[in-house]
Order: sequence, then structure tokens, then C-alpha cells
Amino acid sequence: MGNVESINSPNSILVVGGGISGITAAVEAAEVGYEVILIEKSPYLGGRVARMNHYFPKLCAPYCGLEINFRRIKTNPRIKVFTLAEIENISGKEGDYDVTVKLTPRMVNDNCTACGKCVEVCPVERLNDLNYGMDKTKAIYAPNPLSFPTNYVIDTEVCPGAECSKCVPVCPYEAIDLSMTAESVHMKVGSVVMATGWKPYDATKLDNLGYGKYPNVITNVMMERMAATDGPTQGKIVRPSDGKEVKSIAFVQCAGSRDVNHLPYCSAVCCLGSLKQVTYIQEKNPDAKVFLFYIDIRATGYLEDFYRKVQGYENLSLIKGKVAKIKEDPQTKDLIVEAEDVAQGKKVSEPVEMVVLATGLVPSIADTKIAADITYDDYGFIASQPPGIYAAGCSKRPADVSNSVMDATGAALKAIQSIVAGGQNG
Amino acid sequence: MDKKLGVYICGGCSIGDSLDLDKLSEVATKEYKVEICKTHPFLCGKEGAQLIAKDIEDGVNTVVIAACSPRAQQEIFSYDPGVVLERVNLREHVVWSHTPQDEDTQMLAEDYLRMGIAKAQKVLPAEPYQETIDKTILVVGGGISGMTSALEAAKAGYEVCLVEKSPSLGGWMSKLYKQYPKHPPYQQLEDTGIEAKIKEVEGNPRIKVFTGAEIEKTTGAPGMFDVLVRQNGSQTSLRIGSIIQATGFRPYEANKLDHLGFGKYPDVITNFQMEELARQGKIKRPSDGKEVESVAFIQCAGQRDENHLPYCSSFCCLTSLKQALYVTEQNTDASVYVVYKDIRTPAQYEDFYKRVQEEQAVFFTKGEVQGISEGGGCLTVEVEDTLLGEKIGINADLVVLAVGIVPNSMPEEAKKATAEAESSEEKCEGAAERAPDSGFYAAPALQLKYRQGPELPTLKYGFPDSHFICFPYETRRTGIYSTGCVRQPEDSATSIDDATGAALKAIQCVEQSSKGMALHPRAWDQTYPDLFMQRCTQCKRCTEECPFGMYDEDEKFNPLPNPTRCRRCAICMGSCPERIISFKDYSVDIISSMLKAVEVPEEDEEKPRVIAFLCENDAYPALDVAGINRLTYNPYVRVIPVRCLGSMNIVWIADSLSKGIDGILMIGCNYGDDYQCHFIKGSELANYRMEKVQETLQRLVLESERIEVWQLSISEYDKLPKIFDDFLETIERVGPNPYKDF
Amino acid sequence: MTLATPDKETMDILLDLGGEKLKICYQCGTCTGTCPWNLVRDFNVRKIVHQAQLGLVDFEDEDIWTCATCGACVKRCPRGGETIDVMKAIRKVVSEMGAGKVPDSLRISIKNIASLGNPQGEAPEKRADWAQGRDVKTFTPQTEWLYFPCCIPAYDSKVKRMALATVDILGKMGIDFGILGEKEKCCGESVRKAGGEETFQSLANTNIQTFTESGVKKVLVSSPHCYHTFKNEYPELGAEFEVVHTTQLWAQLLEEKKLNFSREIKKKVVYHDPCYLGRHNDIYDEPRRVLEAIPGLELVEFEDSKQNAICCGGGGGRIWMDTPKGERLCDWRLEQAVELGADILAVACPYCMLNFDDSVLTLGKEDVIDIKDVSELVLEAI
Repeated sequence: MGNVESINSPNSILVVGGGISGITAAVEAAEVGYEVILIEKSPYLGGRVARMNHYFPKLCAPYCGLEINFRRIKTNPRIKVFTLAEIENISGKEGDYDVTVKLTPRMVNDNCTACGKCVEVCPVERLNDLNYGMDKTKAIYAPNPLSFPTNYVIDTEVCPGAECSKCVPVCPYEAIDLSMTAESVHMKVGSVVMATGWKPYDATKLDNLGYGKYPNVITNVMMERMAATDGPTQGKIVRPSDGKEVKSIAFVQCAGSRDVNHLPYCSAVCCLGSLKQVTYIQEKNPDAKVFLFYIDIRATGYLEDFYRKVQGYENLSLIKGKVAKIKEDPQTKDLIVEAEDVAQGKKVSEPVEMVVLATGLVPSIADTKIAADITYDDYGFIASQPPGIYAAGCSKRPADVSNSVMDATGAALKAIQSIVAGGQNG
Repeated sequence: MDKKLGVYICGGCSIGDSLDLDKLSEVATKEYKVEICKTHPFLCGKEGAQLIAKDIEDGVNTVVIAACSPRAQQEIFSYDPGVVLERVNLREHVVWSHTPQDEDTQMLAEDYLRMGIAKAQKVLPAEPYQETIDKTILVVGGGISGMTSALEAAKAGYEVCLVEKSPSLGGWMSKLYKQYPKHPPYQQLEDTGIEAKIKEVEGNPRIKVFTGAEIEKTTGAPGMFDVLVRQNGSQTSLRIGSIIQATGFRPYEANKLDHLGFGKYPDVITNFQMEELARQGKIKRPSDGKEVESVAFIQCAGQRDENHLPYCSSFCCLTSLKQALYVTEQNTDASVYVVYKDIRTPAQYEDFYKRVQEEQAVFFTKGEVQGISEGGGCLTVEVEDTLLGEKIGINADLVVLAVGIVPNSMPEEAKKATAEAESSEEKCEGAAERAPDSGFYAAPALQLKYRQGPELPTLKYGFPDSHFICFPYETRRTGIYSTGCVRQPEDSATSIDDATGAALKAIQCVEQSSKGMALHPRAWDQTYPDLFMQRCTQCKRCTEECPFGMYDEDEKFNPLPNPTRCRRCAICMGSCPERIISFKDYSVDIISSMLKAVEVPEEDEEKPRVIAFLCENDAYPALDVAGINRLTYNPYVRVIPVRCLGSMNIVWIADSLSKGIDGILMIGCNYGDDYQCHFIKGSELANYRMEKVQETLQRLVLESERIEVWQLSISEYDKLPKIFDDFLETIERVGPNPYKDF
Repeated sequence: MTLATPDKETMDILLDLGGEKLKICYQCGTCTGTCPWNLVRDFNVRKIVHQAQLGLVDFEDEDIWTCATCGACVKRCPRGGETIDVMKAIRKVVSEMGAGKVPDSLRISIKNIASLGNPQGEAPEKRADWAQGRDVKTFTPQTEWLYFPCCIPAYDSKVKRMALATVDILGKMGIDFGILGEKEKCCGESVRKAGGEETFQSLANTNIQTFTESGVKKVLVSSPHCYHTFKNEYPELGAEFEVVHTTQLWAQLLEEKKLNFSREIKKKVVYHDPCYLGRHNDIYDEPRRVLEAIPGLELVEFEDSKQNAICCGGGGGRIWMDTPKGERLCDWRLEQAVELGADILAVACPYCMLNFDDSVLTLGKEDVIDIKDVSELVLEAI
């Protein structure tokens, strides 16, 4: 991985973002025969999908595909991966981009064998961002047993550093180096793929839905971690307030999406996401009553099959009606979900033990708009870019995995064309 | 090649503390007489790596590294292609998951080392399959998808042949009046721009366009396809590297929708006919040419209906929104009604929905259409309105049925089998091939002269798609990619992205093939199957079971391999009763010798032995994770990774049992509708074969419980210890293998 | 069988009458889910909006008069819809185009307002009687403040206490103010919401004319409804004067240290946000600041307060209509206050006061809780 240097390969492609779109763009381009540099701002590849339990509609494990992709990366000398890396500056034009990439120190070098000795002695805990803060790790940690790279990493936010240094001597391989500092890599590349992905909408802004106020109101991304065997609850779907197995649950669609007060656009994946999560309940809490409140169910293409399949689950009530309000019974911490049941033409107040907000997608690039000749739409998605830079996946629009992969594969070809054309596409 | 073995044992990550490394080394030095056997406390460190590198310089050409999982430190332990590398997983599968300093743990480690050495002795370096590869891309279908694929491939410097059935390029897009907005702020209708695209294609020197042309015959394999194109009588033969099928869709037959009055009333038309009307200028009623003042759109006219099209066609909502504007643009007083089930305008298209809502003349309501009647000079659509909870009647001059799409790969009449398939009636494996998802099923487009049928196999609803979420371009014919609406219902914007991706895959195919490398999912693999034909009995298992149609057949039913079609899953190797199919690093013999290397204790030692064959992509990494999480399980199990469970050859069962192994576990990926096997049918075939084996066992008075087949996903690592432990209990129950002491 | 068929003309009319925003509704039902009426009875806002979208409104249906224009749904609508405008438009079609029947009580009140300038049908010359025995002078161009009490305090024997408290405070503060007495006419805010657009226009114009002729610069109001229309609607008709609600003035005087509290009020007080002061004009803090400043007073909050406050049911003309017992929001709200253990329910709107006074009687809570205008409490504490 990235020991500091300057890379001068105008025939190479820089892929920004190591989620499913970025990984795809990188391996697909490399397997055509091009040099690729893949940078990811977190310590591991996989982005959002690495934090999901299943994909819809096949209910398969994201790491199944990631494992193949990681093997494609590990066995392909043309791909260079930098984690904890972010674009600092990008200038130039198609066929000739100058990029400065900032590397946050990992504090663990490539001697790391991931044996885990360091964790035993680390005295400091941190909220596990990978599990959306639902549990803790030590300050030195491995993101996930299947993650790539496998090297451990130190959260410099919480690590006391030199004054503690307990982990340094216990590492038999001298892999921990608390003196590491931030560094920059300068690179010349021919084209850039922007696969910066998405993040969940801040649910605390949905004041009427009680997230952050009521412990048993969680978000869809948290539910993915809860349902995952390697998640904070080892795959048990339980109430944050008391760890009690959930016997009734409501899914709240368009929690922020299709709402001029929040995200006017549709986030495109939340309907299927919640239908998928209904199957988690079906599998893990088979007796639980499930309510799903929606405006329109948007199961396009043959995802409709999955919708039909889930409709067949007798404990599920699909209710057309946007949730207007969520209240909490302060004693039981149960929740009351208020909405109109449009089919019945009257208001219902459904008491449930837990609520999952299907919060929408926000483009990650929105807060760090790259200083290149890129234009963004009203919502911060990439609307247009100069030749030589290509947006892929959710940096462009909300999309599911399969569509993001398609899009990223196409972006890889555009990036290749820029190199073939040697900057003559513009 | 004459082998010079080097065995390197790592003592790091508590391997040294848990095992007696000297005893372990003796396995290599004494049992296998390996001259070079070194241990090092930190093999993946600089010094350790140098140690190995040095020996390679000095002539070691086969390296056995007994350390961590082969999935770990891959960059460090990688050598030039001439060097054979075998990794023995002492860390995750032995010391991290078993009691340290324990006799059984030591035995486990020693067996794994034996198996590793036994394998390494037989593995040979890969010799890539090198042929002269033609890199021309063939695109079948000249609609928006096909034209996009052609252009994008050409822009990357590749020669392209574009074959279109109809006399002109453009497909459905050229039949549209306008397209709905594809750019922010998603407010105004846009021109389709299809004319410009057609010109661009026709003007591109790298693209050879054949219109009014069809494919008569396709033979060969990626990099060396021979395609016969018939164009107004004359035939052209093309040498092709890879193929993109973009043959598009046709509208659902509206005359099946008589309950919606189609065919009964002239003023009930389809959304596709609506485009024609709009293109002709003022939209007039077919019946009497009256300019329409009121139009009703009926969404899901057949879609989301199991009697018609069970799936959603993805763009009909947006199309009707667009067509609503056609009406209001020509006549501001006209009124437009849209009756929907759900309005599906994903992502930023929501903005366009809002914009059309704001149109004064456009009414939306959700409901089920009960029927359509005529009277008073107009049509009346009776709607059970879910929003009002009552029936309403909508009067309209014109009723537009938003019909869905059917992939052109879907035959008009769903024929099932063909003579070729039936010729192998007795082969149950063949049954899979005669199912509606086989290459015999789809409507003519490519005319492949493949043993397994002339077209891309289809899955649900006649779409030739493999339904992989993370690998959407997977098809079951290597080097042939479907894209656009023939693959899945998608709008033109998505089709353009899709077609660009397909172009990359087609290019990637010819590039990888030219290097003699496999394609996804084993893109790094340079081996390929080698058949020892003298022993072939023409049983046709390989030709029928290959998920990718790699084998053709001669008239005597001899298999004719096409290595560039091969995906290296080795399912053929597993299918072959004569064991004549081998790869340089993976063969029936190699695995057998690993089995034979396992030391089976005498019966009275009461240490049963179980062999577990694990899919190397899912079950094997899952077992690594079990180790990383320090989950412990029975030490009597010996794990052998397989490329795919479908590569399991029955002889391995026989070898194991005759050696005295007490039980066999096979753990592959899920199969069925939501199959996760990356070779499509591997795990399913394995399961099928094993059912047969269990019958044989009973005949040999061996308990069928001695074999278990499991489906496991990579994330289910927590289930493995239980599977192992429970199986060992079963084995203890049924008792030791009676053949043990023979 | 003849089926109802969507009617574009009707819909067009509704759009012309100010219902434009009804177009963008995508029928999610957030309004119905939010509407406070559903605490005490079924009321399907969404359905009425959809009927409007299809031009299929049942103008005979009493439900078109139910909306109290509290604005709760407007704040939540994901499409930015304006439910109140839609309701207004529907009511206009009835009251001005005679499409249906205006409920009697409402019709009479509006008739009274049109003819006598007040809904109660009292004589205009009696409008200043409430101030008898107080030193309240008639407004002259030299006077600094015009105090505009609103029809209800002016004529209602009980609610007038809020006007009296107000003038007493003004007196103690030595603030120069006057009233216009019989020249005052109803502000017309609720008339407008009830669909009486023409009546509103003439009321507004008369008031504006009177104010201008009398040289009014600053108006102090007790009613958030007067406040709302003076501040947000009159200017469109050419009004140019400053409007201040009593709670705002008290808060300002506190800040300027002109108003000081010497007497303790050892009471638990819950403040009820009037829709037209709160949601419609975002005035939440001033009344609270005033109450919190009173020594000994313990201010508690409703579970639903400020933006989420539950309406008393008096807006949009409802104040003049009968609401059957068991379906009264003010009763529901009062119960809520009692549950909180409040001794006093503090209000800042004559409609709220009228409603809650009534609830106290009908629910027999006289000994449990008092209804007081913020001004009354201020006066007690000085």
C-alpha cells in the first residue's frame, strides 16, 4: 500500500472511492490492461455494501462478490490501492491530470499480520463507525475479518499516542508506528472516475419521527448491521432500549426522501431495502408483526417479483400512507406510529416495539465538492463533468448495487477512451 | 519439469507456540524427503520473504508455504509464473481454531502439510492458451443500446461490426416523438437525439454497419468467432472476438388486453401507438380523426399482472407522464387522466413527476380499472379509485394503455426441447439443459452452433440475464454479453450506461483471451482444461454440464473443447467418470493425492477422519473468519478447497472411503432461484451427483450419512463449527468406516 | 349506474380561487395523519384534497367546513402543499357561488359581521362598553398606540377580561393608547378562511380607511387572528401600520426593564400556543419569556407544543360553528392540561379563551384549572 511517492503514469486511471462502484471501475479497467490507482478515504474497501447484511433481491451476502473482487485486486499487479486517502487537489485536463492525494496515517505498517495481539492490550475504546455507533472497538482495530486490506488501523481521534504506546511493544512484528504522520502523494493520471458514493440522510432532521430522541427508532442502515452476524448484536434483531427481541416493528418509507423539506428526490433503493429487511424479521423474529408504511412501492423491472414474494408474508401489513408522526410511551419505550391508512381512508395509530426509518441517500461528494470542472445538480449529485472525469454510481444519482456496477463498468470504458484518445475527446 | 521443492514453515501468529514445528518439519524432511525445509518466526516479514526469494534464485521452483491462509499476504508470497506455489493454512484453519499444544492439533497441521506437499509435487506451472485472437466486436441490434455499445467500443479503438435486422438503425428510440427529461432540472421534454447518434455510428470509420441483416450462423469461440451474416441475399463471413447482444424488446401484445377494450374500441391504443400519433402532429382519435380533448392513460396495462407480465417494465410511468405533456402542449384545454397502481419515478425523475403534476390539465389517481365502455361519443373508463374509496368514471376521447415490454429473446411460442437435447434422454444432467432457461429456448438472434443450444440461455421471463447483483454482465456464454432491454427492462438513459459497460466487457474479453487468461470470476487464471482423449467414452457429461457451453461435440459425441469459452470452474472435470479432464494446477489426480496424503489412524485409536470439500470463494473464506474469530471446532476434519463444488469428482469419494476416511462433507454455495454459485450450477450439480453417490453407498452397505452436502454463504462463518461438530457426532454414531483397516 | 366523473371546470375554479398548490399533492396522507381533528373524530384531509384534484368535491358535505386552518399539516406536507388555501377555495365555491349550503351558525355570524361589523350581532355603538369604568380614551391622531381588542373581548362578558387586563397594564405602564370603539369592525380573518372573501375585502378596506383617517401608526392586538391579517393580509390592500401582539409588547417592556414583577404567582402554568401566533407567525418565545419572568410561576409544557401545538378548534370560522361534545379539541386539550397538573392554562387568543372557558364549564373543571390570558397573569404579578 501507499508509502509516499509520486506516481507519474499519464496512462493510468485514478478511481476515487473504494465502494462497489469504485472497486468495479478499477478491476474492470485493470482487466482490460490499464494501470489503475484506487483511493478510498476509509481504512478498508467495500464502502456501504461492506456494511450490508444482504443484497436484494437474491438475499446474498455482499462479501461473496467482494471476496471475488478483492481476489481480482490482489492478483492484479496493475491495481494500486491507497486507503485512508482523499483527494486534496486535482488540476489539468483529459490525458494529463495532476492529482494530490492526502494520506491519513494508519499508524500500522505492512508488517501487520492481523494477529490481534495489540487489541488485547489497547486501553481505549471508540464507537464503531462501521456499525453506525451501535457498539465499540478498541482504538486499534480491524474493520472486518473479511475486509481488505486486512491490516489493523489506529483511530487517531481517540488513541492517546506515544504517551500510551501499550500496543507498540506487544506487536511481535514491529507493525505499529505511532510516529506516522499525514503525507501527500502526487500523481499524474490520464483520467479520473468519481465513485464517491453516498451516505445516509441525517435522520435527526426528521424531528417528527423521533430518531435520536427515542432509542427504539433506528435507521435502515443500522438495521443492516443489526441483522448481520458480524454486527453489533450478532445478527439478533433487538430493541436498543432494552435488548429485548422485537415482536412488532414498523418500517417508515420515504423518511426524508420525496420531501421538499428534506430530500425532494426519490432515493430509489429504500423500498426494496425495507422489503428486504422485512425478510430479516421473517427469518429471525418469525412471530413479529410487521408494518410497512409507504407512498408508492417502487420495485422496478423484475424486482417486482421480490415485492410480490414479500407481500406473501402473512405477518406483514403494507399500508399506503406516509407516517406523519412517531410518539413514544416513556414507560415501555414502545412507539406509536401515526399515519393515514389511505386504503381505509382513516388515520391509524399503530403501537410497535421498534421503528426503522428508511432514510434516503445523500451524495457523499456533496460536502467535499472536488475542485475540478464538475457541475452538480440541486441535490449535490454530479450533473456534468469535463472529458477525462467520469462519475459512477451514487455520485451521479441514487442507484442500487446492480445499476451502480453497470454504470461503473461503463465509466471504466470512458476513462479508458480518454487515455486512448490521449486527451482528444474534449 | 523436474521439481525442486522448498518447504517454509512460519512460526508467527502463535503457530510456533501452538505446534511442535520440529515435528512438523520432519513431515517434510523425513516423510517426503524434502531437502529444503525452513522455519521462520515471521515469514511474511522482509527477512522471511528474502529467505524464500533467495532459495528460488538458487533453483527452488516449487514453494510450499505453511503459514497463514492463502487469502492472506498474497502480495508478499507471489512469485513469477514459473514457480509453483502452494499455501498450507496453519493459522486460520489450525492454530486459531484448535487447542494449542494438543496431539490432535499437531496431527491436523501435519496432515495439512502432507496434503500441501503432495499437491505441490503434482502441480505444474500454467501454460497459457495462446491463439491468434481477433479483437473485432460484434454488436447485434442497432437500437440505442447496440449503437451505444458500437460507438463506445470504437472510441476505445476497436473495430466493430453492427448487425441490425431492420432496414435502418435507431430502434424504438427513432419511433419516439420526444423523450422525457434526462438532465437536471428534469422539467422539459428533450429531443431523442437519435438521428445524430445514427449519423455518428454510420460516420465512424471503425464501425461496419449491416442493416436489413441477420446472423445465419455463429461458430467458434471468443477471439475466434466465425459469424455468417446474411444481408439482402448475400452472405458475409466475419471474424469476431466477442459479441454484444442488444436485440431489444417488443411491446406486450395489447390484443391480450381485451378487458381494457383494446381491439374492441379503435380509440383504445398503446403507449407505442401514442408516439406515432404524436409524431404525425396533432393527436387525433383513430376512429374519426377528432382532435383529442381528453385522454386517459392506464398504467400497468398488463405489467405487474401474473396473467400477463409479472414484472414492471420500469419506464411506462415516465413515458405516460411524457405523453401527458404531448397532449397538454398541443391543447391547453385538453384534460389528461393518469390511472396508476404506484407512480414509479425513481431518483431525480421525481422532479419530472412533480412538474407534470403541476400541469393544470393533468389528473392523477390511483385505482384499478374495472372496464372500458363506449357511449356519448367518448369512452368511459371505470375505475375503482383507492384514493376516494369509490368507483369513478373517466370520460376520454382516447385511452392510452401503458403496455410493458417483452424481450426479443422471448420466443413467440415457448418451445422447450430440441432434437439435440432429447438425443441424450437418459442423461438427467441434461434435464437442466432442456429447462426453459436453456440455450435452446430463446428466439433466434445469434444462431450459435453450440452443443448447448443456439442462443444465450435465458432466466426468468425470457431475459438472457444471469441475475448476478454484483456482476450484472455475467452470461452463460463466455464472451457474449446481453445489454439493454433484452437483458432487463430499463429506460434509454440506463440502457446507455448499460451498453457502455457491455462494450467494456466485450473488449475485456478479447484482451484477456489474447493473454491466455480466463475471464471473471477467475480473471487471474492461466490454466485451462486438458483432455486425455484416448480414455474418453463419449458419455457427454462434460458437454452437457458445462454451465458456459464450452464443449462442442463431433458426430461421434467426442467433446471438442473451446478453451476461450472456458471459465475454469472445472465442473467438467468433476463430471468426467473417466477422470480425463485436468488443469495444470487442479486435477482429479492432484486432489486424490492430497486425500491419500491424509494419515488415517487405526480404528482403535478412535480418531475418525473427515474430509471437507469447501468452495474456495465462500465456504473456505468463511472458515478463515471462524478462525479469525477464534471459533473452535473438531480437529478430525481435513479441509480441501475446490474451485467450485461442481468440480467435485465422485472418484474422490471412493478414494476417501477406500482409504478409510469416515465421512465426507461438501460445502458449496446456495442454489435454486436465488443461486449464488458464481459458476451458476456448480453447487446444484454437486448436490445432484451426491444424491446418486449416496444410493451407491447404500448398495455398498455404507451408511449414506457418511456424506453431507451443505449450502453456505460466506457470511455464515458462525455455522461452520456446528456443521463440523454435528457431522462428527453423526460419524461417531454410525461408527468407523469398515474399509478402514484394509 | 352513473359514476362520478372527474370535472375539470370545478378543478379549474378551485385553482383560480387560490388552490393552485392542490395539484402537487401526491396523496401520501401526511395531512390526515397530522390533523389534530383525528384525535377526537375522523377527518380525512387528504381525501378532500383529492376530491378537489378531480373536481369531485361534495359541496354539501359538512366536512369541507371542518378544517380549523391550524396549519399543522401545511408544516409537514412533503410536497409543500397549502391545504388551507385549498379549503378556502372550496368554501368560496359554496359561499360565493352557492354550490352548497353554508352551515347556519356560520352564515349568521358572517351576515352579522357584514351588517354590524361583529359576529355576535351586537350593536356597534356598544363596542366600547367593555371599557366602562376604565380610563380608556378614544384614539386620536396624537395617540401613540391603537388598542384593537377584537370582537370577542369587546362583547363577551367573560372574555372581555383579557382586554381589561391589557388596558390596566397599559395604564400602569403609563403607555399612551386609545381605542376606536364603534368605529372598529371585525378584522375579517376568519371570515376569509370561511370563504367569505367579499365580506373580508369590505371589512379590511373599511378598517384600513378608518385607521388611516384616524392616523393610526401602531396597533396593539389581543387576538392572533387580528395580528395575522393586519400583518400579512392588510398590507396587500394598502395598509401601512405596525402591528404588535400583547405578548410581544409585554416581552419588550420586560426587556427594557419598564415592566417589573413584584408579586409572586405560586402556580403551575401551562401555555397553549395559539395557531395564529405560533405556526402562522412563529411567535413562540415572547409569551414564554413573559411567563417565566413572573416570580413563583412554574411554567410547564404540553407534549405537543410550539410547532406541534394542538389547535383549540376555533380557527377558520369554527369559532362560530357548533362542535358536538366529544369532538371538541379544546376539551381534549384541557384534559391534557389537567393531566399535566396545571393550575392555570395560559392563553394568548380570544378564540382559545372562549373555547377553553366553555370546556371548563362543560367538563366541570372549575375547581381544577383556571383559564387566563397572559395579560391577566402579567397584571396580577405587577
